[in-house]
Amino acid sequence: MRNFWLVAKHEYRRMVVRRGFVIGTIAIPLGIVMLVALGILVETLSENKLPLGYVDKAGILDDSPSPPLPDTAVHIQVRSFPNEEAALTALEGEEIQAFFVFPPDYPQTLQTHLYYLAKPPSDDTWDEFNDFVRLSLVSTLPDEIQARLLEGPSITVQDIVNGREFSNNDVINIILPLAASFLFLIATMSAASYMLRVVADEKENRTMEIMVTSLAPGQLIGGKAAGLLGVTLTQLFIYIMAVVVGLKAGVGFVPASQQATVPWAYLGVIALFFLPAYALISAVMVAIGGAVTEMQQGQQVAAILNLFFLLPLFLTPVIFNNPAHPAVVFFTLFPATAFLTISLRWGLGTIPAWQLSLSWVLLVASVFLMVWAAARVFRAGMLRYGQPLSLKAVAVAIRRI
Amino acid sequence: MHTVEISHLAKRFGDTQAVANVSFSVQSGEIFGLLGPNGAGKTTTIRMMLDIFKPDSGSVRIFGGKLGLEQKRRIGYLPEERGLYKDQKLEPTLIYLGTLKGLDKKTARRRLTSWLERLDLDEHRHKKVQELSKGMQQKAQIIATLLHDPDLIVVDEPFAALDPVNTRLVKEIMEEQRLAGKSIIMSTHQMYQAEALCSRIVLIDEGQTVLYGTVDEIKRNFAGNAIVVKGQGDFTHLPGVLETRQHNGTWHMSLEIGSDPQTVFSTLAARKGVKIERFELAEPSLDDIFINVVQKGATQLEASHA
Repeated sequence: MRNFWLVAKHEYRRMVVRRGFVIGTIAIPLGIVMLVALGILVETLSENKLPLGYVDKAGILDDSPSPPLPDTAVHIQVRSFPNEEAALTALEGEEIQAFFVFPPDYPQTLQTHLYYLAKPPSDDTWDEFNDFVRLSLVSTLPDEIQARLLEGPSITVQDIVNGREFSNNDVINIILPLAASFLFLIATMSAASYMLRVVADEKENRTMEIMVTSLAPGQLIGGKAAGLLGVTLTQLFIYIMAVVVGLKAGVGFVPASQQATVPWAYLGVIALFFLPAYALISAVMVAIGGAVTEMQQGQQVAAILNLFFLLPLFLTPVIFNNPAHPAVVFFTLFPATAFLTISLRWGLGTIPAWQLSLSWVLLVASVFLMVWAAARVFRAGMLRYGQPLSLKAVAVAIRRI
Repeated sequence: MHTVEISHLAKRFGDTQAVANVSFSVQSGEIFGLLGPNGAGKTTTIRMMLDIFKPDSGSVRIFGGKLGLEQKRRIGYLPEERGLYKDQKLEPTLIYLGTLKGLDKKTARRRLTSWLERLDLDEHRHKKVQELSKGMQQKAQIIATLLHDPDLIVVDEPFAALDPVNTRLVKEIMEEQRLAGKSIIMSTHQMYQAEALCSRIVLIDEGQTVLYGTVDEIKRNFAGNAIVVKGQGDFTHLPGVLETRQHNGTWHMSLEIGSDPQTVFSTLAARKGVKIERFELAEPSLDDIFINVVQKGATQLEASHA
């Protein structure tokens, strides 16, 4: 076990000091931050701050100044006009950006007329005016009723088997599986690239004979995979922290995020499946790297095999529409596709406990099997300097070196 | 108890029989030569001995038993395919390899300092391995082999890429290790190096053990198979002579096994224009024996194919 950790530590240190790692790790969150900042800047600069006007022919609006609703990001002043002519004069004089006309039959039709010159009001301005109208419409009602009406409908569905609840406000249940899928995609690519790099390095440096006379092949491969897992987790941690910081900063801009709660059960399941899924990918990549002679050749094979791991992404509509479909159940249980399928299914429904348990057992068992086989292929491939392993040779290596 | 006991090892790769039947044992406190021409099966034998390859048949006993991780820690191996992490600095690389052999970091660092000083690499300890010359890399590899103070040292062509000064230094180190009671297996095809260092040898050819024993014993058995001649005239192309070399005006001849030196003398004496000033039986060098045995093997192989 000591040697396993020595290899893991060594591999981790080697990778994190590389320029590629530093650039890759910082560049992605930095890019996201810059894109978000750019978006906010463009939005802020293009936001029309002029007041909105209205002409209330239906006599339904309260024209006393009202505080903004708590979920509004921007507060636009709203001005009342006695008639369309006055409002039009103000619009042409650029005192207001647009005005609404509420016809006398508004309570029946719920139709208004909007007047603007070149550009309609932005979505945020629309939202704010809607809030103003809603506030005005309920202003005569008791406070409790007012509050309930302004809150709007909230539907909660409860699974009668395990008690799990789904709410239409709980957007995090949709966002998280997609975010987890994205992170898994990055992890998969990283694993492929790092493991192939490691194997190529070992070949190039011809250190294999030294290593196998110092430690067991399983320790070598396991240690390398653990070190690289550490590298990937470091990267993911930085990305996740960047997302968390971004969300914290953007919570005022995304009203739905204020009601979101952290789905710990989901995160627990994801954590439970992520590590073995990553180990499985790493082991597959080690086997590929061991069998081929050129990095490019390895990358081509790895790209095809990666598709197996990412297959559930292509089946997202089926998973979302019919999570109990036999094909979805198969992908839940199949080790290579288990992580993504479970991640995507969890967002919109519940997964039977037997499927979760069986899937995890199969995944972990396949990891042990794959690491064992990969260690043998790696060892056989490493000792054949400059010669690739045929499929037959791979089979022979797995049986015996 | 022998440090190493190899018995009837065999290994085939596809259609090639790399090792057919190799047996030998190595004791503590000796430098043992594993000799043979290129492709004879020396490296494959070492790899089977060190559990890098599994043999098809035969057995290997190291320190009296099977080779496990504990036994591996007592072995220092300098492989034919040299390998160090080239993009890493010398000092951490060697410390890492030392810790994999069971040393703690502090001990590894302390021992490394003394080895680096001795092999004149101290000022290069912070350089990347790829920045070192071939000879320096070779010395670094030797340090990696010896840093953990192994009881069994296996070196495959240890003098490759070394200049005469460093060759002498490495020879001294090997002799010191022998005196300290270590078992050393040296694989080489440089016979003069083996002759200078080894007390016992095994000669492998075509994957088979063809000679095995002490160097003195083998030389005695082959005495009479080499002659030294001084004189004038043409001394080449003599029947019964495998190889003729001229050195400082003296002709050294390796005779075929069974060839009679008297017959060679008579042939020479009868040759026109030849004047013999000196003719004596010489103790054959390992080089002579090597050529003799290997060429005979090749002749037999050709005959069997014909």
